Amino acid sequence: MSARDTLLSYGDDIYTCNRTRCGFCRDECPVYRIERLETYSCRGKMLVARGLIEGTLEPDEEMARMADECLLCGYCAARCALQNVEIITALREALAESGHKAAKHEENTAQILETGYLFPRAAPLKRAGTTPLYLGCLYQSKPAEVKTVLSVLKKAGFDPLIDDEVCCGYIIQATGGAAEFEQAQARFREVYGRYQDDEILTLCPTCNITLRDKYGLNTKPAIVAVAERLRQLNLKPVSLTATYHDPCHLGRMLGVFDEPREIVRALGVTLVEMEHNREFSTCCGGGGGVTAVSPRLSAEIAKNRVRDALAVGAESIITVCPTCVPTLLRGAGRLANEVDTFVDVLDLWQMLDEALEE
Amino acid sequence: MPPEAELERAFEDLQRIFKDRVTQSAMHRMAYSRDWSPRYRTAQDLPDLVVVPRSTEDVVQLVNIALRHSIPVVPFAGGTGMGGGVAAWRGGIMVETKGLDQILELDKESLTVTVGTGISVWALNEYLARHNLWFPHQPESKRACTIGACIGCDNDSTFGIRYGKILENLTNLVVVTGRGEAVRLGRRKASFSSTGYKLMDLMVGSEGTLGVVTEATLRVCPVPQTRQVRGYLLRSLNEGAQAVERVLSAGLCIDSAHMNDRERLHFYTHAYRETYHREPEVPDWAEVILFISWAGDEDVVDFAMDKTTRVLRDEYGAELVGEQEMVDGWWDSKHRLDFIPFKQKWPDSQREKKFGAADVGLPIGRLEEAYHRFRQIAAKWHQDVLGMTVYNESANRSTASVSFAVFVDDSSEENVRDFYEYVREMSQMAVELEGTMSSYIGDGDRLGGFNVLEHGLGLEYMKRVKALFDPQGIMNPGKKFETRWLR
Repeated sequence: MSARDTLLSYGDDIYTCNRTRCGFCRDECPVYRIERLETYSCRGKMLVARGLIEGTLEPDEEMARMADECLLCGYCAARCALQNVEIITALREALAESGHKAAKHEENTAQILETGYLFPRAAPLKRAGTTPLYLGCLYQSKPAEVKTVLSVLKKAGFDPLIDDEVCCGYIIQATGGAAEFEQAQARFREVYGRYQDDEILTLCPTCNITLRDKYGLNTKPAIVAVAERLRQLNLKPVSLTATYHDPCHLGRMLGVFDEPREIVRALGVTLVEMEHNREFSTCCGGGGGVTAVSPRLSAEIAKNRVRDALAVGAESIITVCPTCVPTLLRGAGRLANEVDTFVDVLDLWQMLDEALEE
Repeated sequence: MPPEAELERAFEDLQRIFKDRVTQSAMHRMAYSRDWSPRYRTAQDLPDLVVVPRSTEDVVQLVNIALRHSIPVVPFAGGTGMGGGVAAWRGGIMVETKGLDQILELDKESLTVTVGTGISVWALNEYLARHNLWFPHQPESKRACTIGACIGCDNDSTFGIRYGKILENLTNLVVVTGRGEAVRLGRRKASFSSTGYKLMDLMVGSEGTLGVVTEATLRVCPVPQTRQVRGYLLRSLNEGAQAVERVLSAGLCIDSAHMNDRERLHFYTHAYRETYHREPEVPDWAEVILFISWAGDEDVVDFAMDKTTRVLRDEYGAELVGEQEMVDGWWDSKHRLDFIPFKQKWPDSQREKKFGAADVGLPIGRLEEAYHRFRQIAAKWHQDVLGMTVYNESANRSTASVSFAVFVDDSSEENVRDFYEYVREMSQMAVELEGTMSSYIGDGDRLGGFNVLEHGLGLEYMKRVKALFDPQGIMNPGKKFETRWLR
């Protein structure tokens, strides 16, 4: 099936949106909040998609840039009944097929297909153990953070097994590389397919969804596994008023809202909720490959999310995602230059490690 | 349509001021190509340019450029209108007003807020909630609908029976007229004025045909301590309308009152069905479901609720809806817009046929007659009945702003034409019954010119008013005075 045919297969949803125009997806879309043109909202993209289907619009670089500036965060889908994320992904595919794909996305795809990783692998991280732990590309490049996670998991009674792994391929698919994704999938199955019958703990929520939905693996976010053993853990309390940022894939798409909050409360944190939380949380700015092609936009979105935290009086933002932590930190740093207040961004794994007794 | 050469020159002039906030790309123009009006599914009205102003001064410059090149100016707000008010069918500059979204001043002592008109009603209320205040003009499209759209369309409000519509909640505005001048109209923060003509009132429902409203001063209210909603089953529409008037005359203060027929109830109970996986039970004898809400201090609300129930039961034979979950589901759908994630009712209900309405205003004594004729006219023009809601939109009066809604088959141009034939006959009926053709959607590109039936010679005076504000006729042309749809 060609990418245009894929887009066409969503025709019913696309026309339904075009004919409805309720706009519930629009105002809080993190990209629309910055760009302020209908085109950047989901309903605007649906009109553009229709233009492509009907041939009244021709694919071009500007359109590809617009499609690339979507976080695929799923906020619009939560406010809707249509398959918005899938349609925008199909739009990217159609644009890539017509030769309009960002050079940075091409480069990342080539890197993954060539090496198996999105980023250069910083250190050998293999470890013998009993519970498979899939790190994902981001953690593969962060050995210090992996050490922290391993420390927490061990204190919680797990014996993590880290084996050879390759990229799950999400970012290839998300940036419009349908055919290349098939190659990445074949490689993934070859390298990691042996864990078909095990429960695999994951650190990156995006990888978790891809492993589950594209490879049929039995996955569980490692933070959920820790939350399940919370009562057995001795935690040193901290004194802090903070908010919790729901990572899009962990929260909205995997439905994990309560477990991280239970941990945060167990740590003694006074938890204040941002206006947009849980299913209707808004993205940190790091989703959908936006950081790679539009770091300015990503940083502005992150600043807005930090502003959301400031608005409810949070001293810090706690989160648990290898994309959200650095993205929000960048936003917090840049916003501090403007408002003279730095909202710290804390990784829940780091907090747990510091609070857990040996 | 404007000549290419003039458009090109206008684009160059706009670029000098707006830089990357002006575009003529086909992609961006496409994103502004339609609103919520019933149209053939592939219909599109493309503007020639899209501009995003951020201030009144920006709009002044923009309109002056449009004047210089004789190019239409079409203000675009929420894009949720159902009358084609933002359809740029004469081309021109689409003014994306949502860049004018600043909160300019909150005066807590006087209970007013001054805003840029691009802010959505929802965002304004989120801001006000932090100050324990709210803005009571609340159309059902409030998540996307802006204050400018409320003014431009004179749209509906859930709380009209207590607070009136936008006009009752607006004290002042700034409009950039078709002369390219920014003019302040209204009473500043006062609630009344006996000086001059009420030019501010002219802007309400003007649909951008006189100018672009850029700032508004609005009356806000303290958030009530509590709100309760109940549903009542009644035997007829006329009884329902009389019952509302009787409740008011008893001295009770109600916050909202909506009458639905059985079919419309189905449409509004999406959240209920999603939650409980069943249809609400309504006995066969009940023709009307009247939803009433009360807001205020808890003891007052409790008393008002109890007294209302007694009046409706003892004097009108009404039955309180026992299944409060159904009432709450209706309220979630109507006011809180609290849909289950990934299951929002609007798009899903529009897959095969889409919502379309004749939005007539009627004297309350003619409701029953209008309802029967609605069903006949809908059948004549092959429209599936979606149902009827009577909105009470005037403070402390029983009134009838009626949405006679149908599912429009928009899979062919011919079927869409049938819908507009339905609107034409419903509009004629409204005038015959001593009412008005539109009570919340506006003329848009449907009723203009045809509305001479309602206004007679008055329409000529309206044209002169238009000429005063917009001598070159550049402001949202093709609206108010001509129709694309009605014969």
